[in-house]
Amino acid sequence: MQKKIRVLIAKPGLDGHDRGALVIAQGLRDEGMEVIYSGLRQTPEQIVAAAIQEDVDCIGLSILSGAHNELFPEVTRLLKENHAEDILVIGGGVIPDDDIPFLQKHGIKAIFTPGTSISEIAQFIKGVSLEDKGTVSNSSVKKIDHLGIAVHHLDEAIPFFQDVLGLKLLGKEEVVTEGVKVAFFEVGETKLELLEPLNKESPIYKHLEKRGEGFHHIAFEVDNLIQQFDWMKENGFPLLQDKPKDGAHGKKVGFIHPKSTHKVLVEFCEIPIKE
Amino acid sequence: MGDIEKEQFKEWEGKTEAFIKKHPERKDFFETSSNIPIDRLYMPNEMDEAYIEKLNYPGEYPFTRGIQPTMYRGRLWSMRQYAGFSTAEESNKRYKYLLEQGQTGLSVAFDLPTQIGYDSDDPHAKGEIGKVGVAIDSLKDMEILFQDIPLDKVSTSMTINAPASILLAMYIAVAEKQGVAPEQLSGTIQNDILKEYIARGTYIYPPKPSMRLITNIFEYCANYLPKWNTISISGYHIREAGSTAVQEVAFTLANAIAYVESALEAGLEIDEFAPRLAFFFNAHNQFFEEIAKFRAARRLWAKIMKERFHAKKEKSLQLRFHTQTAGSTLTAQQPDNNVVRVAIQALAAILGGTQSLHTNSRDEALALPTQDSARIALRTQQIIAYETGVTDTIDPLGGSYYIEALTDQIEKEVEEYLNIIDEMGGAVTAIEQGFIQREIHKAAYQYQRDIEAEKQWIVGLNSFKITDETKPELLRVDPSVAKLQEQKLKELRDSRDNEAIAIRLAALKQAAETDENVMPFIVEAVKAYATIGEIANVLREVFGIYQPS
Repeated sequence: MQKKIRVLIAKPGLDGHDRGALVIAQGLRDEGMEVIYSGLRQTPEQIVAAAIQEDVDCIGLSILSGAHNELFPEVTRLLKENHAEDILVIGGGVIPDDDIPFLQKHGIKAIFTPGTSISEIAQFIKGVSLEDKGTVSNSSVKKIDHLGIAVHHLDEAIPFFQDVLGLKLLGKEEVVTEGVKVAFFEVGETKLELLEPLNKESPIYKHLEKRGEGFHHIAFEVDNLIQQFDWMKENGFPLLQDKPKDGAHGKKVGFIHPKSTHKVLVEFCEIPIKE
Repeated sequence: MGDIEKEQFKEWEGKTEAFIKKHPERKDFFETSSNIPIDRLYMPNEMDEAYIEKLNYPGEYPFTRGIQPTMYRGRLWSMRQYAGFSTAEESNKRYKYLLEQGQTGLSVAFDLPTQIGYDSDDPHAKGEIGKVGVAIDSLKDMEILFQDIPLDKVSTSMTINAPASILLAMYIAVAEKQGVAPEQLSGTIQNDILKEYIARGTYIYPPKPSMRLITNIFEYCANYLPKWNTISISGYHIREAGSTAVQEVAFTLANAIAYVESALEAGLEIDEFAPRLAFFFNAHNQFFEEIAKFRAARRLWAKIMKERFHAKKEKSLQLRFHTQTAGSTLTAQQPDNNVVRVAIQALAAILGGTQSLHTNSRDEALALPTQDSARIALRTQQIIAYETGVTDTIDPLGGSYYIEALTDQIEKEVEEYLNIIDEMGGAVTAIEQGFIQREIHKAAYQYQRDIEAEKQWIVGLNSFKITDETKPELLRVDPSVAKLQEQKLKELRDSRDNEAIAIRLAALKQAAETDENVMPFIVEAVKAYATIGEIANVLREVFGIYQPS
């Protein structure tokens, strides 16, 4: 499971105007983040200590009294001193535009002035925090390759898809490693795969026993299956096997356990480059 | 009119004529631009019991139509711009400028260290010195702040809460040096600690000793400063924190009830202190609702004082209030539009019968107001006062079906909240349990959601936007203020009689530990030039510090 983004909303200085801080805290919670609110009158030392102890990804500072030029840079300085400069620091409040470059120079990544929407701030935090973790580049899903449907007998199911829906049957094939016999239909850019068990050891046989006929799995085409596997493992998604295996049409395939993917069996497949 | 009604009207007229002999109206004759004469008061053709019960004449219980018999035909509201920044010297200059420009009362903004009882050289004060108001450390600063301003002539409002007793003591001491006796002083201290726990945040001590300090001030002023408003019970900040209009009135009156009960418990007589209680409300965007809100608040308070606390004096029943336009409605985008917002909000306050008014400056969402912006804000009030004629008859919207219906409805909903808070055990408990804070936060969050979903349009913010805005000139507080204040403090500590201070602070501590009124001890400490931090620290030792849960 992906870790939730953790945010500390903090009020340095002495001003007691925390309507903005409270609204933002609530708003970011509604955006799926874990938010801690410091309360009023926190010193930069207290804020940095709380941020480190709570292991937050982001500190949001709010000041309306005009003390930002003194207090915001003190927070980033103390973060550095405590080797915690990887924590994203943003700020808000009544802050003149002319002060923003100064604050950015001191490591406050963004300043949100009155009128900013909560979603804008949430987008910013999510963007930076994903970038930091390199989340963006390592999943290489291109499209849905096919949807898998479990059936008792291919011959009984084919007529519905072929004759009634009028889909083009691409072919039938036995995949012995999986213990299945499959039929593929073309549906626009993607395909349907009907699966019939070859024996009682086949996972499809078990699926039919437990749930009967119906939707079985979704298969995404990826650029690089090995890299995709590594990425999934890194993020804590258990694989059903360690290495890619051979699937239909000579594709390399691999499955993710459905318990971590909202009960959907996910297959990744990589189409080999033809020589 | 029937005979009884005619009799009542005659009675009111007679009373009013007598009042006018003492307090003449601004003109002998009021008329419109078309020479149509303007009556002092307009009334329904049919006067019935319901009218007398709900509205009655201005200056008569329950004061729905206003607290004086002539209202603005007699005297306009006080134009009172909240100001103060940097050092006492700088603020003194701004006050003199505002008085020259026709402002009729002073309103002092203190910086946050002063408001929380820290000296400028305290580590907590870092970055905040002179920022949102003037830095006051000792009587020395206060003497400079009011230099060449005759304290027997101006009335001064001070936005000070937790250390209100200290600043009031300094004011008394400065007046004495000017040769002005305490009984001549008129003005207001905000002194409303409960709303600090709810919304504004400049608390120091826990609720119980804080309430005791307030009661001490009530008693002291009843004896020595009869013209002083001892508290300004404030809905303003509750509204700024995001409450609705109904919540603003409900929570303010709930706090007011708590203060009254606390004073009664301390043995004070209701009619001794109640006439000096003042209120402070917000003037927000919803024009008619705001007008109705002020009228409903007056009626509610009169009833509470009469029926619940059995006050007898007419002045005890009257809700007098200051109003400020809603800072939180001002946008950083297209800031000149704020002048229009402020004008409409100010008009609502005036149609609602306010006793004094602060109009916000257009640039407050960006920084502290510049001198130009502060002047336009004052001019806005002056235009309404002198050019529009809205001041020529009393409660001009009284009798409007809409206004009266809204007034009734707000009254009803406020009473519902007051019942809930009574059942919880009063405002202090409701605050300690976070009930009031949660109610406000819910309303604030809903409002923000509505703006983002564009259910609520804000001109220039989520609609009618422009891309290439020109940036206005902003006021900057000179950062050398902090150094200057620290320097002044050092000189003071080196030059004053520190032994005398130690003795007076010890006496204060002893008084604080008993039931004695601490005010006289604070006045003595202040006169010896004890600093605000030193005095507040003595009380911190005795009372402890408030920790929000």
